[in-house]
Amino acid sequence: MVEPSGRRFSFEGRSRTAQPGETLLDSLVRDGLPNLQRSPRYHRPRAPFCGIGQCTGCLVRVNGRPNVRACRYLPLDGDRVVTENAWPSRRFDLLASFDVLFRNGIDTLHGFRRPAFATPLFHRVVRRLAGYGQPPTGESAAALSGPPDVREVDVAIVGAGRSGRAAAAALVAAGVHPLILERRAETPPLPGAVVLAATTATFLPPRTGGPEGTFEMLAYGEPAQGVLVRARRVIAATGSYDASLLFESNDRPGILTGDAALELTRRGRPPPFHRAVLFGSGDRARTLVERLGDHVSAIVAPGEIPPELVSAATQAGIPLYPRSLLRTAQGRTRIRSVTVQSRGQGTPATLECDALLLAHRRLPNGQLFFQAGARMSWRAGTGAYYPVVGEDGATSVPGLWAIGSASAALGAASVGSGERVASALTGGSVPVAPLDRVRPDGPNELEGYYRELLRAPRTGRWIACPCEDVLLGEVEEATRNGYRGIEVVKRYTGLGTGLCQGRYCLPDGLLLLSIAEGRPPTEVGYITQRPPVHPTPLAALAALDASVSAPEGS
Amino acid sequence: MNGPRRSEYAVAIVGAGIIGLFTAYHLARAGVGPILVLDRGFLSSGASGRNGGGVRQQWETRATVRLARESVASYRHFGRDFGYNIWFRQSGYLFLAETNADLDRLRPVHELVRSEGLHSRVLDPHGVGRLVPGIAPGAVVGGTYLATDGILYPFPAVWGMYEAARGLGVEMALGLEAVGVATRDGRVNGLRTSHGSIATPKVVNAAGGWSGDFSGAAGLEVPNRATRHEILATEPMKPFLDPMVVRPSDGLYFSQTMRGEIVGGLTLRHPPGADRGMASSAAFLPRMASALSRLIPRLGALGVLRAWSGFYDDTPDGLPIIGEDPRLPGFYHANGFGGHGFMLAPAATRRVARTVLGERTDLDPSVFGPGRFTGPAPPSSVERLQLG
Repeated sequence: MVEPSGRRFSFEGRSRTAQPGETLLDSLVRDGLPNLQRSPRYHRPRAPFCGIGQCTGCLVRVNGRPNVRACRYLPLDGDRVVTENAWPSRRFDLLASFDVLFRNGIDTLHGFRRPAFATPLFHRVVRRLAGYGQPPTGESAAALSGPPDVREVDVAIVGAGRSGRAAAAALVAAGVHPLILERRAETPPLPGAVVLAATTATFLPPRTGGPEGTFEMLAYGEPAQGVLVRARRVIAATGSYDASLLFESNDRPGILTGDAALELTRRGRPPPFHRAVLFGSGDRARTLVERLGDHVSAIVAPGEIPPELVSAATQAGIPLYPRSLLRTAQGRTRIRSVTVQSRGQGTPATLECDALLLAHRRLPNGQLFFQAGARMSWRAGTGAYYPVVGEDGATSVPGLWAIGSASAALGAASVGSGERVASALTGGSVPVAPLDRVRPDGPNELEGYYRELLRAPRTGRWIACPCEDVLLGEVEEATRNGYRGIEVVKRYTGLGTGLCQGRYCLPDGLLLLSIAEGRPPTEVGYITQRPPVHPTPLAALAALDASVSAPEGS
Repeated sequence: MNGPRRSEYAVAIVGAGIIGLFTAYHLARAGVGPILVLDRGFLSSGASGRNGGGVRQQWETRATVRLARESVASYRHFGRDFGYNIWFRQSGYLFLAETNADLDRLRPVHELVRSEGLHSRVLDPHGVGRLVPGIAPGAVVGGTYLATDGILYPFPAVWGMYEAARGLGVEMALGLEAVGVATRDGRVNGLRTSHGSIATPKVVNAAGGWSGDFSGAAGLEVPNRATRHEILATEPMKPFLDPMVVRPSDGLYFSQTMRGEIVGGLTLRHPPGADRGMASSAAFLPRMASALSRLIPRLGALGVLRAWSGFYDDTPDGLPIIGEDPRLPGFYHANGFGGHGFMLAPAATRRVARTVLGERTDLDPSVFGPGRFTGPAPPSSVERLQLG
């Protein structure tokens, strides 16, 4: 997408500017991490959490359009940005009284049934709490409608991270010029390839009468409109993301994923915190220590901390808490400390901080593989489903390839997987030596972690699904009432049905249910995500009507 | 999955959707001996967990209006009776007419509904506009509206009936597939499952979109046809739309849920049996998006979150099949609801239960009976409001 030039916009009535390449969130964060949202049931203060367009922490209203993610949106000249879902203001929200009034949670399954004469009132109140933003205005919709941009290519690469770029460079060298779809706004150009930045891709299901042997993808970008991509071959280099974690008050502002910390500090931007507790000990944690330096005040890890990180941390004077549980976050509108406890019932310690960075588990972005119907397999190393691939990256779907961390490749193997797929696509030879990938079997570290964490008595809010404010207790009640399996528990509790479509809560949900039901996660279920996954405006979809019409048999 | 716990049951019900669960409940209340409900999927995996939750009383056939009216009365007390809040909201059903001819087609329904004591109203464009804020100017010439129709949240209704039936001793076997019936002297005397056989004199086919298959497995030729229908949900937003809105000309229907999402679908013709998958088709999202954003232009800026599909169990005359199959005594039909099982379940299943108990019901066999397709006379009624 073309980068907009003008960047003077208003936020809550005050004029602001965004520098070239800056998202709306980048610009707002210059004044500190903003609490932009309220949660849907209890109206708890919420701030950006993921920084990569998945969570509900940065939803704002732009020019009359609700639910725009500030972290993905490149402001345009004259944009009017306001916050929603709080009354009378986002700092003081009377609806937050529900958080206090309903200490044991709002039970929408059994509560509010009596007295019968009051049900219309209950309906009004509950409908008012939910919903995030006001309906869009007509002008905001008109601005989104236009003719579709249709692109037909031989090879499309989804993702311009390490593996995607390696594949693209090797393809260009062999004379193939791919189209690259990248969801980050700031993407360096790649000579010989066309890059559509700030774009998220979804597969459209195959259709009768559709183009033979061709994938159809809908790419939707901010602030532009939909692009229909027809590609004979698709290389999915969709990468991975940092998982969330369950503990008391795990939804508080200041709790960020490693992704968010890295996104917000890219190109030398100062972090929106001073003292961050880092949870995790792998490559991701090391990257964060390197990037953030003395902004990291402690490292907490569920298991042992590897020697490289120990020496890096010791040099920087960062205290270490290996083999520890993260129990509680304190602070309502911004965290001020976290409580950790070494495993095996050690003494709890309170660590003061103004941010908590979660970098303990990398999950693959697997939506494209699920949508394409590719064969998936469980890998215990991270506790997630990955596509089954050959050493050249071929999935079970002809024409669809998987590379990089989305294909479970680890570290430098990401680049190798990109080079291999380019070689396979251009008729070259592919080495048979296996790449370094996420471990397929063995126990999952977090299973043991959660087993220990959840054994202890609990207080406060444990938010199993922040998008819908589903509490951990509600998930446990489902199991107690005899509802088994992730699909049923999803429907029973609403877990995973919110705006992130379960990206954050369902991977944890599988591990929790595995413990509660006493069977392996793979028997608890399969995580399916239904298209289009990323909220795509009706106007952008409507523009495609003529291009993909001819419903089967009509 | 283990097989059934007993070797013998008084009744076996195939399908743990809303029809099967309600039927089990009514039979258990009547004191029938051991009852088994089996389903090859998980609870709510079929249409009972995939529908838009509309409950309307506006139909072309009088008997259906009455069943629906009785069902609405039951759903009003669901919370009191079954412990789960189904968030039943009587905020009306609005049928849109794009042309005067459309409106003329809606009038007989309006007259029939009024003659049954329900206060249906004919609205002009202004009246429609008040119910659908932001509707495109000139989009309709009017519509009909019944304020006591409503919308419910389907899942808790499934949980409530599941627990109520279990509480009365009904055995639930999820993940167990019914593969056929055993007969003796031309009567049902058993059920064959994916995990062994049981003895039972009575089998109820409440398998929804799979009813035709199961009847076929029992050697019965039936006219049921499974058709795939798709549905989508948008991002949630603050409440702005109260009624369920239906446009008969293209089958568009939508409402705003308690959580604020717009949930709806429209009729796309898929070749019969071409695809029994639950995936979405490429045509649906753009077509539905186009229909919705043309009708209410400002919704164009709203994001679609997900789309899914489910099966209607359609019959040639658009009416359900309720009763014992004359060709195979002991085989009972509770199917063919054509995507409206949830709307009619509480009332229809009372009749199913009575039939299974060998009692007479107020249902006319020439309208609802399984024999209507095989007898010399054609079915006596047709219901064409197969919408929303």
